[in-house]
This record gives sequence, structure tokens and C-alpha cells, in this order.
Amino acid sequence: MTETVTDEPIEVPELDVPGVYRIETMALNEGMPLVLDMTRAVYPHDEIYGQYCTVTEFVAAPPDEVYGYLADTRSLCEWTYSMRGFERTDDPEVWVSDDRIGSHTRIYTRTVANPEARTVDYHCAWDQADHLWMVYLMRVVDAQVVLNKPGSVVTWTNCHHPFYEDNGYPETEPAGRPVWVGDFWHLFAAGHLLELRNLKAICEHRHAAGQPIKPEWMD
Amino acid sequence: MSTDTVSLLDVSGYLPENIVSADYFAQYADPDEVTSNLMFKAPKFRRHVAPGETPADMAERAVAPILARHGRDVLRDIDILIVHTQLPDIGIVGSGGDVAKRLGIAPEWLIDLHNGGCASFVYGMKLARQILLSSDARSALIVTIQNVAGQVFTQEQVRGKAQAAIPGDGAGAGLLVKSGDSPILDIETRHLPEFAGQMTVIADPPRRYWEAGSGEMHVGFTESKIAKVLQRGNRLVPEVANTVCGRIGVPAQDLDLLVTNQPNRAFLRNWRDALQLPPERHPDTFDDCGNLFGAGIPVTFDRAVDEGRVPAGSLVMFAGFAHAGDFAGAAAVRWGGR
Repeated sequence: MTETVTDEPIEVPELDVPGVYRIETMALNEGMPLVLDMTRAVYPHDEIYGQYCTVTEFVAAPPDEVYGYLADTRSLCEWTYSMRGFERTDDPEVWVSDDRIGSHTRIYTRTVANPEARTVDYHCAWDQADHLWMVYLMRVVDAQVVLNKPGSVVTWTNCHHPFYEDNGYPETEPAGRPVWVGDFWHLFAAGHLLELRNLKAICEHRHAAGQPIKPEWMD
Repeated sequence: MSTDTVSLLDVSGYLPENIVSADYFAQYADPDEVTSNLMFKAPKFRRHVAPGETPADMAERAVAPILARHGRDVLRDIDILIVHTQLPDIGIVGSGGDVAKRLGIAPEWLIDLHNGGCASFVYGMKLARQILLSSDARSALIVTIQNVAGQVFTQEQVRGKAQAAIPGDGAGAGLLVKSGDSPILDIETRHLPEFAGQMTVIADPPRRYWEAGSGEMHVGFTESKIAKVLQRGNRLVPEVANTVCGRIGVPAQDLDLLVTNQPNRAFLRNWRDALQLPPERHPDTFDDCGNLFGAGIPVTFDRAVDEGRVPAGSLVMFAGFAHAGDFAGAAAVRWGGR
């Protein structure tokens, strides 16, 4: 048991903010029913995935290795469903590739990674690199800490940016392209889970075979 | 007569005369127990058994409409009697023998079904169907009796608790025969022994139920137990119903009628949500009768038939779960009409 080192515990004074539920103003016998009522057997897809889309998967491979693989933008050409043919651009931080889900579609990607937090954020956009509004937020968590077993937990979140509904840069669209990335927003949960399972399969396969997860050609 | 099909030929219900409104409990409500908790959101009305009313009395009244419709001669063919009694008169033995005596029958198969709880009618259907299909037995009678509301939950120390306003008394009966007239298409039952014994009956000060003492028996609810049971019920009932749907090749949303047990409004809402059914295809008697435990399914179905909501040919799914999740069952019937 950790001993307390301060004399006085911190007690927050009255908050007086409307819409805040705290035990001081709502007893457990009121709070409990509230959350029981919010608990359902099933949820409408839109309620869960309408504004934010998070998928999560366990990967039986070390978190630092999984992170290292994800942090290299080129890994996307292995584990995504449709991003292929990565090339450098004028900007050393930005890669361009084909998103083969849309015909004649170029997708620009800048990867922002933090090894301490093991976060990997892919800032992307179709057609243009000036505004990378389509952001894929990923985090690799040490499963030992959260699940008490070796491996990684990978979470992946997207937020429903308004450009998914209305392309903010219609002038950059290739003529006659029949699809827009936002047309698929309601499929993101399933589509991203499929890709996350690709990632899982690749990482686990290589790790089990004693190979590095990040292939040598990326070094 | 088809010998490879068993039909649920008829169902009937009985509700005691004594209608008790929510006010009865409100006047005794312990301030610490006052809650808007959905698990304990009181129905407007419930029935309570009359003083001295026995399970056999209730069974006889529940079976009476079946006898009125089919003639007392049906009793001659009852080779299987399955009786589920929520609160047997004596703890040692169930009410099956009393019920048989009252009906004037001596069936070869007389089963006091002491498990299955709120889904005991479905479990009774499974047992009866199996015995019918594998023996010379001609027909079966299932009786489910709920008699705790007016006995346990009106006690002085119990009636002020939030849980007291939820149960209601009543009994249901079902007649099963070998025929294709109102066929049982499929039944799924699951026992989950890992959750057995988690629904507890307690008194303060603690004692065994048969020991003398000053504390009155009631159900041991805790916040964490409620949360767990909600989660299990949310999962189990749609699971067994969907399993049956899968086997009979009918999507859940194509069911004409869903009849479940009715522990509270949250479950009723969550189950029909999960099976993608509108409220009008999921009748309940919760507001009038409270939680009828094992009698809920037959009583609610009987009422729906009476109200003309179940035309012949309707595909009906009976589904429910028991106690803290130790049992779940679902049965699909192509209702033959009445």
C-alpha cells in the first residue's frame, strides 16, 4: 500500500457547471439508473461510428516493433487494402501513393510519430498535399500493461471531418472520378478493421517466424 | 397424426383477482431505496395471490381455459405434466403432485421443474417435446406458477424495498400434442452453470431460509450484480433467439411475434432492439402484471392471442433467461391459431 505524502487530500470546491454529473450532486442511486439506461444490447451503427470511428485489435508481437513498422509510412503499402506505389514528393515529409480504391486517385501522406507514446498519426488527403485533413490516429499500447500478457493493443481512430461529406478541394479532383473517399465513411469501421487485421496477420506472422516486423527493404 | 412433430396446441393464463397499484409500495418506500433505477422502475399494477391461495389453486385456474376450449377429455391424454413453481408450499417438494391431484390425472411423467426460472416455460417445452418424440406419451401439460409477489414482497421488512414493487403473481399453462397443427419449429436452451447461485435470497440478520429468525427473506441485489445481470441478459436472450432464427432460416426481424420474460423495461427495450423488432411485435404485460417470472411468457402470449394479435400462421418466438443468467432459452412456434 502506498502511503500518502500530503497532509490534506485535494478536494475540489463546488464546480457549478451545468451538465456535469458528479457524486456530490447525483447520488449513486440516481447515477446508476442513468448509466443502466444508457446500456443497450445493440447500438445503431451511426451512434457508434457516425462521428468517430475507432477500431481496436490485439497483436501478438512486441509493441516497439509494431510501432516501428507503423511509423514508417511505407508500411501502408503492405497492410492497407489499397494504398500502393509510394513515392517521395518535394516535401521530404510527404509521400504520395495511389489509393486504388478510387481510379486515378493520388493520396498524400505525412506521418507524425511519437516513439514514447507509440502514437502514429497519418495525415492524408486525396488529390492535394496542401491540406492533409484526413487523419488516421493510431496508438500501440503494451499489452503487458493493459491485458497482462505480452503483445500489443493497437487502436485506430478517425474523426468525421466535414470534407468527407463535401470535398473541400473539388478543383483538384480528376475529371469523371466516380467515387469520393467520404462515400465510404460508413464502411470505415469494417474496412479499417479488415486492414487492422492485415496488420495483425503480418506482424504476428513475421514475429512468429523470428523475422523483423519491419522488412529489411525499408531500412 | 404426425409423430415426428410436436405442437404447442394451446396456451392459457391466470391472474389473481387482487390488483395492487404502485401506490401500495410507495407508502412504505424506504427513502434510501427510492430510485429511478430502471431495474426497479415500478409497473403501475401487479396482481397478488390471495391469502392461502396455493400453487395448485393457481395451476387449476391457469389450465381451466384450455379445458374449456378443448373439453376436459384432453386430461385423459396427459402423460406428461411439468410444473414450475416459483415458491413451493414446502421447500422439500414441488407442487407437481398437488397439481396432478387437482386435475385428477396420474401422468407417467410428472416433473417438478425447479430450474429455468423466468424461461422455465421454454425449458418445459423442450423437455415435453423430447419425451413426446421418444415415447408413447400422447400429450403434455406445462404449468408455470409465479406466487412470490403477494407472499414474499408484501412482508413488512421487504415491501419498502425498491425490488418489492416489481414482481407480480400469475400462472400460465401450455398444452403440447403430437401433431403438425401448431408446430414447435426449434428450441435452443443453454445452461450457464458459471452463473448459478448468483441470485441470492437473504435476510438481515443472516440465516438459512429454513431457520427461524427475525429477518425477512428477500432478493440480494447489489449495484454490481445488477450491472452484470443486465449485461448478461442483454446478450443471452438475443443470442438464443438468433440461434433459433438461424436454424429455421428466418431473420429475426421477420418474426411476427416475440414473447419474452419481463424483468423490467430496459430488458424489453434492449431485446427487441437487438432483434430489430418494433414494439407492436413484442407484446408485454409488464405495466399490468409486473415481472411474472416463469409465468410471464405464457400469460403474455395468451393475452396477445386473446387480443387478436396472433393470427393463425404467425411465427412466434418465445425467449427468456433465468436468475442471474444461469439459463437462457428460445423456442419458435408456427402458431396454429385458436
